[in-house]
Parts: sequence; structure tokens; C-alpha cells
Amino acid sequence: MGSFVLGKYIALDSPVHRLDPRAKIVAMLAMLIAIFIPAGWYGYAVLFAAVAGVILLSKLSFTFIWKSMKPMLFMMVFLFIMNCFVIRTGEVLVTVGKISIYSGAVMQTLYIIVRLLLMIMITTCLTATTKPLDMTLGIEDLLKPASRIGVPGHEIAMLISIALRFIPDLIEETTRIMKAQESRGVDMKEGKFSEKISAILSLIVPLFVSAFQRADDLANAMEARGYAPGEKRTRYKVLKMRVWDWLTVIGANALLAGTIVIARFL
Amino acid sequence: MPIAFEKVSHVYSTGTPYEFKALDGVDLAFTEGRMTAVIGRTGSGKSTLVQHLNALLLPSEGTVRVLDREITAGSTPKGLKKLRGDVGLIFQFPEYQLFEETVLKDVSFGPKNFGASEEDARKRAKQALRLCGLEEQYDERSPLELSGGQKRRAAIAGVLAMDPKVLVLDEPTAGLDPRGTEEMMKLFRTLNKKNNKTIIIVTHDMEQVFQYCDEVVVMADGKVAAHMSTDEFFADSSVCRGLGILPPAIIRTCDALREAGFDIPKEIRTSAALAKCVAQQVRRHG
Ligand SMILES: Nc1ncnc2c1ncn2[C@@H]1O[C@H](COP(=O)(O)OP(=O)(O)OP(=O)(O)O)[C@@H](O)[C@H]1O
Ligand SMILES: [Mg+2]
Repeated sequence: MGSFVLGKYIALDSPVHRLDPRAKIVAMLAMLIAIFIPAGWYGYAVLFAAVAGVILLSKLSFTFIWKSMKPMLFMMVFLFIMNCFVIRTGEVLVTVGKISIYSGAVMQTLYIIVRLLLMIMITTCLTATTKPLDMTLGIEDLLKPASRIGVPGHEIAMLISIALRFIPDLIEETTRIMKAQESRGVDMKEGKFSEKISAILSLIVPLFVSAFQRADDLANAMEARGYAPGEKRTRYKVLKMRVWDWLTVIGANALLAGTIVIARFL
Repeated sequence: MPIAFEKVSHVYSTGTPYEFKALDGVDLAFTEGRMTAVIGRTGSGKSTLVQHLNALLLPSEGTVRVLDREITAGSTPKGLKKLRGDVGLIFQFPEYQLFEETVLKDVSFGPKNFGASEEDARKRAKQALRLCGLEEQYDERSPLELSGGQKRRAAIAGVLAMDPKVLVLDEPTAGLDPRGTEEMMKLFRTLNKKNNKTIIIVTHDMEQVFQYCDEVVVMADGKVAAHMSTDEFFADSSVCRGLGILPPAIIRTCDALREAGFDIPKEIRTSAALAKCVAQQVRRHG
């Protein structure tokens, strides 16, 4: 559990950490769109280079990025196997028994895997360099135009920030309850099917109880300090776009435009 | 049979920016059949230490020997169930582990996991509940309807019902009322004396150490700073103070009286005895 790093904020001091969260969110969205433009291998090479540059600038270690991708490995293998059965275009590469693997399947899977990898790298760059609180402020600001047509921007932002805030707590709580039940002879790893069911129950029930308890406590604490969702609030931290923030936004959009150009003309 | 640590270190979150060495070269042997207190500041590694005793945590370096098991760093031990039945571990705030529909079912959960029959498990659960001071009327209630202190008792009963040889308690009385605290401590002491169970108890309360425990282990920054008998530890306040610990009130009072010129013998341990001793000396003068 301790090695679960997806979505974790890593406190470092780097140019990427110092960027305005709004700039980072917009840049991330532009990059994500760019990923889904079929720009071929040239396009992906450019995107990879850009993302690698951002990672270097952010001082995040590549082992950290690797760790955040690990949970996805299983999915990638699964995708590959599925594709091998389904896609039958291109030439036959290998034949194992009745099953032939086509070059089309391999290419298609590679495309998907590259996209997934890029997506994870980009989102990790955002979540690892932006404090959850700054992220919320950024989201809230970006949703401001939408709040005129009735989208509850502030509430959405608050929801997201609370959810993010509770992830590490819930992971810790899970480990704790697991240990307590293991001390009472529950075997989380070995054991028969029926034992597994009772093991899972002994974990889930207390986890829910304590999650509800926490939610309740938090709601009370917020109310006790006068929080009311609809009200106008001032901010302790005021976001301000600087030169580098604008450059980031422009750069990411240029990258998006570049990918479209590559997709069209190359 | 040993309950011992040999050069044990434990590192949390190895290989991440959050890496932390919570135990650092611990050499320690608990004495069987005795009641040992583990004390030390917040974050000194007490909980980390005791979780090695039933292999919930595995050493990053060194060897842990518990009864007939030997757990060495780097190996992946199998079949830990027997060890978990032999060493009952009660966590800080154990009430979070309750999950069954009724208190009785929850307390019989442990014994059933270790192979007791339904009937046997119920019998043991009832015994444990009564020991922990929860009357028959609570047996069929939902654990969620109990008060905080009652939940704590139910959770402790849940481990006692397993009838372990060694009982490890991580701050079992934190948050209980004074009377409940005393009842629980007396219960542990009885289990130690009458049922001959080895007890290891993590606590912040020096009065508990002083009144109930035979030995003291002091943890500081992941290392064992001291391990001695309670008598030596509280012989005078200098040992405690040297380790940055505030001695129990009675020891402080004795010290103050000695400083004021009274002759207080070392054996004095209760306020009644102290009062008698002081009264005698005052009368002799008067
Ligand atoms: N899962 C974990 N990951 C990283 N560090 C941890 C983890 N658990 C504990 N630590 C760290 O290890 C150190 C020792 O923790 P431990 O829980 O053993 O302390 P303790 O002596 O029991 O304290 P307390 O009296 O507050 O219960 C602490 O500094 C803590 O921050
Ligand atoms: Mg602790």
C-alpha cells in the first residue's frame, strides 16, 4: 500500500511546481487532446519529447513516474491479449496453434499503450507538482464562466479537493484495519473462497463505518467554522498568471496545433 | 522460548521520497511470564516495534525470534496464522476492527478463525466479554451501538477470546475513563499472574508502568534507550529524568520530601505508606 503513488503530490521546488495551477490544468488538457489526434509516430515522438522535458524540469525522478505507471501494466497486457484475438488486419506475424497474431493487432495495441503511457505521464506531471488545494482553486477559477449558467463551480471544486484529501487517509485506514483483522487470524492472502469472502467483509464493513464517521466529522467541523457553500468567500491565496504561466499555456497549445499539422500533412 | 529482536531495523516506504527508518538496530529480549512496559515519545517507534511480534511488519534488517518462529529480513515467511494465534495483538484504538452484526459474533470471530468450533468459540467469547466487564445484555447488540469505551472492551475481548500465550497491547487504555483504565490494567495484571501470560504493553502513563509492570523498555528515535526492571527504573527520579521522562507523582513527592530533609526509604510505593512514614518522623520530632 505504501508504494501507491498515483495522484500523490511530491513536495519539491521546481519551475513546474511554481506554475499557476490554472496554466497547468489548461496545458494538461491541451496535451491530452493532442494525444488523441492520430498524428502517427512522429506526433508521438514530439509529445514524448515534450513530456520528458516537463518531467526533467519538475525534478520528479523517472522511478517515480515508473511507479505511477505500474498499476496500469496489467491493463496493458490484458489489452494486448484482447487485441490479438480480435484484430485481423495486416500480415500474420506468428501462429501459435489455431491463433495467428497479425501485425495490425500489434500496431493497434502499441498505439493504445503509447497513448495510455502519455496520459499517465501527463496527469502525473500535474498531480505530483500541484498541491491539492491549489488544484481546487485552479479548477474553481476555470469553472467560473460556467457558474453563470448554473454550474456549481465552487461546490465541484470543493468535492474534488475533499475527495483527493481523503485518499491517503483511506489507504492508511485500510492498512490499519487489515492489520487488526490479520491479528485476529484473518488470512488476506491464502485461504479458501468462503474464507476470502469473510476476510473482505471484515475489511469493508469497518472501512465504510469509519469513512462515514470521517465524513460526518468533517461536515460538522466545516459547519462549526461557518462554511456555507453558496456564500461569497474571500481567498487566502490569490492566483496570478505570470509570464511563464502564459508561456506554458501558449506552448501546450502550440504543441496541440503542431500535432494537428503533423496529422494533416505528414 | 524467546521473544527477541536481534539487530532489527525497519524502514517504511523504502525507495520513495517518504522513506523513514522507524527502527534502527534494535537488540532486545522480552522476559517470558512478565509484564513489560514499552515507553517513549510519540514517533519513537513503539508501535512499529510491537507489530513485529506477530509478523504484521517484517524486519528490513536483522532477525525477530518469537516463540518457535524465526523471522529474518529478506525472507517471506509462510503460514503465519499459528504465530498470530500465539501472540495476540491489540492495536491503538482497536474499536475500528468491529464488523459483525452482534458483539458476541464479533468476539467469536477470532477463535473461529483459529479453528474453534461454533459452540466453543461462543463459550470463549462469552468468557472474554465478562472478563472485560461487558455484561450479558450487550451480547446481542450491534457493536456500533456501544459507547466508545464499551467498543474498546469488546475489541479487547475479541483478542482475549483467542487465548494467546503472549498478549501485546498498544496503548489499550488511551481514552478510557479512569475507572475503566484501572479495571483493564488490573485485568491484564491478573492474566499475567494467574494465567501466566507474557504481557507487553505500550503506554504513555508512568503511573501504570509504576503500579503494574515488572520491566520497562524505553524507546527513543527507533533505538532501545534503556531496558531494566521497574524497581531500578523508579529507584529514584534521576533515571527517569535522565531519559526525559516525568516520573510518577508519588516518586516526585518522595524526592521533594527527601530534599526537604525527610528520610524516605526506597521501598515506599504507595501514598498510604508514604504518609505513615512521614507521620512517624514528624511525631518523633514533635
Ligand atoms: N506507514 C508508515 N509510513 C511511513 N512512516 C511511518 C509509517 N508508520 C509510522 N511511520 C513513522 O515511523 C515513526 C515511528 O512510528 P510509530 O507508530 O512506531 O511511533 P509510536 O512510538 O508508536 O508513536 P505513538 O506514541 O504516537 O503511537 C514515526 O516517525 C512515524 O512517522
Ligand atoms: Mg503508537
